[in-house]
This record gives sequence, structure tokens and C-alpha cells, in this order.
Amino acid sequence: MVLALLLGLLIATPVLGTMGSAIAAALDLQAWRAMRDDPQLPRALAMTLCTGLAATAISIALTAWLLSRSFPGPLWTRTVKALPAMLAVPHAAFAIGLAFLIAPSGWLLRAISPWATGFDSPPPWATTQDPWGLGLIAVLVAKEVPFLLWAAATQLQRADTALRWARELDVARSMGYAPRTAWWRVLWPQLWPRLAGPMLAVLAYSLTVVDMALVIGPTSPPTLAVLAWEWLLDADATINAQGAAAAWLLAGVVALLAGGLWALRGRLRRRGWWVSGKRGRGSAGKRFKMPRIASSYPMLTLATLYLAVTLALAVGSVSGVWPFPRLWPESLSLQGWQSVFASASTLWTTAALAAISSVTALLWAVAWLECAPPAWDAHLRRLIYLPLVLPSVLWVVGLHRLCLAWGIDARWPGLWLVHSLAAAPYVLIALSPAYLGFDARYRQIAASLQKSRVTFLMRVKWPLLKASLWGALAVGFAVSVAQYLPTLFVGAGRFATVTTEAVTLASGAQRSLTAAYAWLQWVLPALVFGVAAWLGQPRRFARVASTAMQGAVLNGASGTGGAAS
Amino acid sequence: MSNPSGLEIDVARLALRQHHNDTSLITNLQITVPPGIVHTVMGASGSGKSSLLAAVCGTLARVFTFEGAVSLSGQRIDALPTEQRRVGILFQDDLLFAHMTVRENLLFAVPAGPRAQREAVVKQALDDLELPGFSHADPATLSGGQRARIALMRALLAQPHALLLDEPFSRLDAGLRGRMREFVFATVRTRQIPVLLVTHDEADVAEAGQVTRL
Repeated sequence: MVLALLLGLLIATPVLGTMGSAIAAALDLQAWRAMRDDPQLPRALAMTLCTGLAATAISIALTAWLLSRSFPGPLWTRTVKALPAMLAVPHAAFAIGLAFLIAPSGWLLRAISPWATGFDSPPPWATTQDPWGLGLIAVLVAKEVPFLLWAAATQLQRADTALRWARELDVARSMGYAPRTAWWRVLWPQLWPRLAGPMLAVLAYSLTVVDMALVIGPTSPPTLAVLAWEWLLDADATINAQGAAAAWLLAGVVALLAGGLWALRGRLRRRGWWVSGKRGRGSAGKRFKMPRIASSYPMLTLATLYLAVTLALAVGSVSGVWPFPRLWPESLSLQGWQSVFASASTLWTTAALAAISSVTALLWAVAWLECAPPAWDAHLRRLIYLPLVLPSVLWVVGLHRLCLAWGIDARWPGLWLVHSLAAAPYVLIALSPAYLGFDARYRQIAASLQKSRVTFLMRVKWPLLKASLWGALAVGFAVSVAQYLPTLFVGAGRFATVTTEAVTLASGAQRSLTAAYAWLQWVLPALVFGVAAWLGQPRRFARVASTAMQGAVLNGASGTGGAAS
Repeated sequence: MSNPSGLEIDVARLALRQHHNDTSLITNLQITVPPGIVHTVMGASGSGKSSLLAAVCGTLARVFTFEGAVSLSGQRIDALPTEQRRVGILFQDDLLFAHMTVRENLLFAVPAGPRAQREAVVKQALDDLELPGFSHADPATLSGGQRARIALMRALLAQPHALLLDEPFSRLDAGLRGRMREFVFATVRTRQIPVLLVTHDEADVAEAGQVTRL
């Protein structure tokens, strides 16, 4: 109990401290007035609302449409398999790669120039930091659709639900409903309320994103989140205060929209339409089965986009001279990579910071899950999930003031603290299902064999949970690598990581260097995931003698007959 | 409404494909179900009786192969998609849609048409079920027997030309099972449609002469 209390305090103190500091920053009336009178504010706010709401609406519509074409069926199984790879691409790296594709000098235009467009040089279009925020909307949608599909998969993978819903669709079809009509009237109204949480997360993220908006979003005016961030970085302290006020305004906007949509969700149901009795068109007179390629092309498009983005980054990182309409660089060069390795400190900072923060977060999470009473756990989770809910630009305001007060800003301990705080909720989320689901009877068996708790943990529990522990560590590592705002703000710009470098360089002209950092931002966590998966492999056992195996096969065979019904 | 020939099923072979191995579940089976008759298919689990129903209503999973013919009222239906076969199905779970009230579940099945007429059909159905006060109830709040009766009525309101029953009584407790059986058999007989019932319970057999054992 004492240990649990200590562990709780260990994380509650900085979280509450951050919250308190952020609230203290909001108490400056002068700053609110200055913000209100700033001429950029109304358009920045409008830009935030447009891009955030449009990205959310399109993401949800696209997810629903993709789902309606794939579930239930083999296409859905393949989609679920492709999702982790898409989710693993960091947001900033994805935005940089997509910018490479759609920029006036990007691959898309090169592919159709000059034969279709007549362009011999890149047109003066603002396709990546376009004033309407279309690039930002596109990148948000491309990143959020896999997330929403994954959220749907967690519902649809549950064997009981998936089977029941598939049967309900069969029932509706047996009553004469066309497959797609049945899907929209029977499955979607039951599925989407369960996705309300992830949908609100998408909304909050789209309204508050900073790193992707810096890479691909509009600049004059930028979105409110980026405007607040620019004010926070200003040398003038009064403008910093204005930035804190803008961060709070953003939090208010998110809360208002999320609350409004939550309240409206009951009214969004169109009951009359569900039961109109119209059976829908689609397959009258034809055989129902569509050709496979035709039914899977929307999903293929998404997968192709991800492939193209990573390819654009890969080729971009080794491109030398690359005159415009050519599809392939005229010369390849390792200059970008040489510069990256010349500033090895960036790599080391990234890796070391991610390593110590993820280990810290994992140690804390294991200790907490091991000794916290369930009721405490539920309460604490509400607190430590705060940074996931709050706009990141507001969260860093609090973090920064806290680190200033504790005298650890712009120093390693400060970065270690903020990265560990960022990693902790994700590590806890990743570890909880396996850790809390561990069969309690093992403990009783160990105790009955007169083993101490330490022996039990070291020899039984942790070895059995090896895969989840390594997996959670890798999640923490990836979260730390992806941190942009806190690294820059609390580190006062003195600590460069691959993420801060990639985002900072993205607005410049050094294509190969930007691409190399963006690649690293993706490859470093991917490597750690790979190593974690390898370390977490279940133990391999030597082959049992053949006579013993035969007995096992015979016993096993009798149980396979039931699969047919 | 239906032709005297009723439901005719002719299975040359129904097989399960797993890792390039074909396991035949049913071979050379002919069943003819006249209108108004409840034909029972008995078999242990794994004998392929649920797959037989899936083949008849067109929801067979890709891992199965069906060779044979299914005719309803003299017309081949085995090449048609499920929604054009006019074959209703009732599973062991009632599968009432959780996002709709009892009335909406029934209304879902009634063919499109003038609103007042459709509502009247649903009202009549609820009266027939002796559940007139339940039209706005949440299906989850009803008893298992009530839900089972509503599910049967929902299947019938879609005006199927044949009905398949996949162990519809196995989830009900023993006391209810007998009453539900009587209710189902009496209801489907008045509709004069062929009914195919699969079960592993001897007590479910509706007509002694109309039994197929797998």
C-alpha cells in the first residue's frame, strides 16, 4: 500500500503540477485581451474549425465506406493485417513524405509532366502549405482512417460480436435486403456508437495538431494550434502569455465541439430510414459477387498511398540532382545521410532519450500494475490520460512552467521527465490487458510451493509476460521518438532529435536531409519494435521423442471434427 | 402463393475445403418439403446440417463447396444471391437488432409500402404474438421466449416462400421449449410454406414421416 501510494504520487505530482502551471498561465487577463485583439486570431480560429471538422467528417465517412465494402469477408481480414504497418508510420514523417508527393515539384506532378500538363518547371502552386488547408486535411484523413479502422477492428475482432453481426446481415439479406443496404441499416447504427470515443479523439487531434500542420498546413494564417505555438516560441514574454491564452482557447473549442457532438449523438440516428422497408438496389438480376479487384480497390488505394509516401522518403533521402519533370533523380547521393551521421549527437540524443524514458515508463507501469489496488488504478488513469486528451500545445505550456519552477528546463532531467510522462500512459495502455489478465492462480501455485513473491515474479510471471513487456517498451520508445513540442519547448531548442530536425527542416529546401531524418523518425521505432518482437518470442522447446508425439497427435485429432458445423 | 412442389433440395456434394483437403460433409441427399410441412434434419454437431441450411439460403462461407440444386416453387434458386431467394432463416439466437425497438424490428421486415398499412401489419403481428403493449420495448428487456416469438414473426413478416430453422429451440429452457415448438409449428402451418428444421434433439421432430438423418 505504501509503495502504491509512492508510485501514485510519483506520477500524480508532475501531472498535477503541469495542470496547475497551465491553469496559472491562464490567469493573465492582459494576455487574453492581447489575444482577442490580435488580427490573426479570427482567421486562425476559422482555419482550425474548417480543417479539423472537415478532416474528422471525411475520415469518418471514408472509414464507414471502407468498412461497408469489406466487412464481413476476406477483404476485412487482409485489411486488419495491413493496419499495424500504417499506424506505425509517425505523423510527422508521413506529412513530410506526403508533401514530397504533392508538392509542385513532387512525384505526382512529375508522373504526368510534361506529357499531360505541359510543365517543364514546377508550377507556382501552393499545394503543400496551401492557404485553404487542403494538404493538412488530406494528411489528417490519411492518418486517421487507419486509426478509425483499427478502432473498428477492436470491436469487430471480438468473436461473439463479429459472428452475431455477420449473422444479422444474413438475416436482413434473407428478408430481401441488398448487402450494402443491410450494412447501413443493421450494422453501422450498432457499430458507430461504439466508435464515438475514437471519433472524438480524431476530432480533438485534428483540431490541435501542431507538427503535421507545421509541415503541410497553411501559414498565413496558420491554424490556431500553430499560431499559439508560434507565440509561445516568441522572444517576448507578453507574446508567450498570449500563446498560453490561445492554447486555452483551443482547449475550450475542442471541449465545446466534443461536448456538442456528444450531446447530439442521439439525434443523429435516422430511425425512420432504417425501417422504411425499402430493400435497396444493387444486385437485381445479377450475381452478387463482385470481381475481387473491384471490391478491394479503395483499400488498395490507401495501402498504395502509404507505400508511395515511404518510397518518396526513401528516394528523397538519396536524391542528388533531380531536375523537374524527371521521374527519377539524375544522380543519387549519400550527402543527406552523411550529414545525418556527421551530427551523430542528434541520433544519440533521440535514442538515449527514448531508451531512458521508455524504461522509466515501463518500470513505473509494471510497479504500478503489480501493487496498486484496482480502485486506485481507475482513479489514477483518469489523471495520467490527461496529456492524451488536452491539446499538446496547452500541455507543453504547463510542462515548461513546471520544469522552470523545478529548475530542470533546458536540461536532461527536464527532457527525461517530459518524455517519461508522455510515454507512461501509452505504456500503461499497452501493458494493461496482458498484465491484468494474468491468471491469478499461478501466484497461488507458486505460493503453495513456498516461493516468495520476488521468485514468482522473476521466474514465472515476467517470463510468461515477456512479449507484452517488450512490446510495451517499444511503444514507449516510439512515443518518445515522436515527441516534437515538448522536446523543443522544454529543451529550449538545445536538444535536437530526429523529429525536431525533420519538422524544422521540412520548410527548407534540403530535400535529402529532411527525408533522411523523416526516415529515421520512422525506422528507429520500427527497429525497436522488431527487436522487441524478437526478444519477446515464446520459448522454443526441443522436439519431443516421436512415440510421445504420436500419442499427442492421436489425442488432438479427435477434437478437430467439430470445425465443420 | 407457392407452387405445390414446395422446396426441393438435391445435394450431390457439400464439402469443406481446408488446407487443400476436401472433406465431404454430405453426399447424395434429396429432400422435398411440401408447403405447410415441417421437415426435420437430424444430425450430430459437425455433420454439416447448418452448412446445408446456409447452402439453401445462400450464405455458405467460401471454405465450403456446394454441388447440387435447390428449387423453390419449381424455380432454381441456388445461383441467386441470398436477398433474391425469398428464403427466411431463424437461428438459435433471436438476432433481434439491438438498435431498434420491437416495433422497428418487425417494421424492418415488412415490405415497403404505404406507412399506415405497414404499421397495421406490425400491430396485427404484435396482437397475434399476444404482446400488444411491447411495441416500443427494447428487445434486450424481454424474456427469451418473447424474443424468440418476435424473431419468428419478423422472419414471417418478410413474406418468405420457405423458412429455415437452425436449432431454434436449443437456447430456450426446457419448460419453454415445448410451448415454443407448438407455437412455431402452428404458426408456420397456417402460412402454407415449406419449412426445414435442423436439430440434434429428437423431441424437436415435427412430423414423424418427414425426417432426414445425416
